[in-house]
Amino acid sequence: MSEQTISVLIVEDSKVDSALLTKMLAASAHEKYRVILTTHLGEALKAVERAQFDVIISDLSLPDSVGLATVSKLRWAAMHSAIIVISGTEDGPVATQAVREGAQDYLVKGQYDAGELRHAIRYAIERHRLQTALQESEKHYRHLLEATTDYTYRVTLADGKAVKTEHSLTCAAVTGYTPAEYDADGGLWFRMVHPDDEASVLEQAKRVASGETLPPLEHRILHRDGSLRWVRNNVVPHHDERGKLIGYDGLIRDITARKAAEEQLVRSEAFYHALVESLPQHILRKDLNERFTFANQKFCDLVGRPLEELIGKTDFDYFHPELARKYQEDDRRVIKSGQTLEIVEENRAPHGETRYVNVIKTPIHDARGRTIGIQGIFWDITEKMRSEEQLRKANEDLRRSHEEVKAAHLQLIQAAKMESIGTLAAGVAHEVKNPLATLTMGINYLDRALLQKDKNVLLVLEEMRSAILRADTVTRGLLDFSAARQLDVRPESINGLIEQTLVLVRHKFKEQGIELVTNLAPTLPDVSVEKSQIQQVFVNILMNALHAMEQGGKFTITTRAEKLVRSLHEEGARTSLQMFRGEPVVVTTFEDTGAGISRENLAKIFDPFFTTKPTGVGTGLGLPVSKKIVELHGGSIEVSNRIEGGVRVTIILRAERAHEKESAAGR
Amino acid sequence: MKKKVLLVDDEKSFTNLLKMNLEQTGRYEVRAENWGEDALPAAKEFKPDIMLLDIIMPRMPGGNVVAQFQADPDMKDLPIVFLTAAIQRSTVAAHDGIICDHPCIAKPANLDEIIDMIEKHSVKAA
Repeated sequence: MSEQTISVLIVEDSKVDSALLTKMLAASAHEKYRVILTTHLGEALKAVERAQFDVIISDLSLPDSVGLATVSKLRWAAMHSAIIVISGTEDGPVATQAVREGAQDYLVKGQYDAGELRHAIRYAIERHRLQTALQESEKHYRHLLEATTDYTYRVTLADGKAVKTEHSLTCAAVTGYTPAEYDADGGLWFRMVHPDDEASVLEQAKRVASGETLPPLEHRILHRDGSLRWVRNNVVPHHDERGKLIGYDGLIRDITARKAAEEQLVRSEAFYHALVESLPQHILRKDLNERFTFANQKFCDLVGRPLEELIGKTDFDYFHPELARKYQEDDRRVIKSGQTLEIVEENRAPHGETRYVNVIKTPIHDARGRTIGIQGIFWDITEKMRSEEQLRKANEDLRRSHEEVKAAHLQLIQAAKMESIGTLAAGVAHEVKNPLATLTMGINYLDRALLQKDKNVLLVLEEMRSAILRADTVTRGLLDFSAARQLDVRPESINGLIEQTLVLVRHKFKEQGIELVTNLAPTLPDVSVEKSQIQQVFVNILMNALHAMEQGGKFTITTRAEKLVRSLHEEGARTSLQMFRGEPVVVTTFEDTGAGISRENLAKIFDPFFTTKPTGVGTGLGLPVSKKIVELHGGSIEVSNRIEGGVRVTIILRAERAHEKESAAGR
Repeated sequence: MKKKVLLVDDEKSFTNLLKMNLEQTGRYEVRAENWGEDALPAAKEFKPDIMLLDIIMPRMPGGNVVAQFQADPDMKDLPIVFLTAAIQRSTVAAHDGIICDHPCIAKPANLDEIIDMIEKHSVKAA
């Protein structure tokens, strides 16, 4: 320091005094002084703004400032400079005041020499340095203290009673009270305890005093500033060399922040727990090895096992292997892709029915973003699907009944049409048949009257007869088809009717090289039919078969008795069903090996006058009339293509119940 | 002696031809009438052995003619055969050839059929 130049700011309005000061400083052999002279405080304040001075020597009375204010203003302006106050009078209180305001020394004019001034300067600088250092240290210490969360106290016991309690300094940071305050107020330590925790704190003190070693106690205190603090009180007993309890040390730690975090965590956990458990969805988590790591109560209920048991298990422990495999495949997809999977799938609880669930599976990541498992959320949508299904069915029913109404409407129109056709047909038939009768008579007459009958005349007559026959057949068919008539039914054997019909046509089958096979059930119940009508149906079917197999083939007639079990409606078949399930019926099938019927034609086969035969060969009334006859008998006729090729005609007629009644009466 | 056959049918051409056919056989004497109301007076005059009667005729249908004949003491036993286009062959067959207590032939019919019926039901033996 002796080599350094000391910078000095002199604030003195008296030229004499400042000159004296300058002179004194210049006379020094050891130190060098760089002196700046100012006469006003304002001037001085500007100077300290511009440069830093080691020391400021200032008069108290200046033209622009008088008294202690001068000191305090300088102190604030030049924190790093030592201040020496020079006064014209020796005034003890003022000197003390000046030092309190921040001055480092106080000199009275005329009472110091050059040496004393230099000493004063040196000491003032040093004092200022020390004071600054102390302030720094204090500041640091205060910061430290404020950050402290722990303090200790020591209780000395005599005869099991506390006789002395000492608190460490840092108690102020935790409680707001100083050790001195605890010393002065013996009940303070207990009064600061939160009322709700008083009992447990007292209990701890009592038990420690009786020699017990206890786990730390966490309780609340009220800080001096009124705030609530959580502390953790850990007590360690002291024993003398003979093992007698002489006191204990307590370590108090402020755990308010931890408690708050804990509470936050508890609240947060409670929130999420409540959320997860109150959701209507099933929630589960699995690790990468497909083991359950978590499940909410809803999922546990589904599986029927508590969570503790579930953890570590896999889907295979609770679900059907097929389902478990499917679930795990989905999990692996999610893990591999990292994508959320949302699907609807089957879920069958261990002892439950199959339900449909909507599933969302998402990957779970750890803090570093690595996939550590999957989370599944699913909920039952069976009811939803069922109601959708019901809706669909209702729609379907509606659609069907709409179609039925449409069909019934068409039938009504058809019936009305048929009625008028019936009237028309009867009239037409009568008017056609009379001329036919006349023509017949004409041919008969010519046949006998012509004396010279060559081949051509005979041919002409034959052609004319055949034409009359055709016309007659058409009118007859038309009448059969359109007539609304009462049936004259009697119990008949279907097998017998078939045999009788075959007598008429067997030779034709033989002529065309058709193999005729009959599989007639040996015992069949009778059917209530009008014999000639049903035979007409058979003849129509046989004629169609002959036409279908002009190149030969095989014709099979089968009869059997059965109870109606199946729906008669089949794709590609036209049928009318008036019988109920379970009714005893006689089924007759006619199967040919012809070309079959095109889908287009199959739709028209029961339409009047529809025929595929050459003009003059078919009337287009055979099947419509047959259908009408069978339906009049309450039966059904179905024409369909056989898978093997050819056509199958199935006629179902109600079995006669007479013999059943007899057997019932016989009992 | 030839059998006397009374034909009653509104279809004139039919009666003409049937008459010709029957007479051609040389076994029958035929009188044809084309109106139902003419049947009874004709029968009283002609005194037939059998009457072939149409059913559907204008003014007086066959059914009324039958009623007239049955009400007449002289004619109530005259055999009557319906020869009609109003009833189908199959219906006739189903009723063993008898419709409303009378034999019946469905038109159109062959001469042989008609002759068979005349022979079968006429009063006088051939």
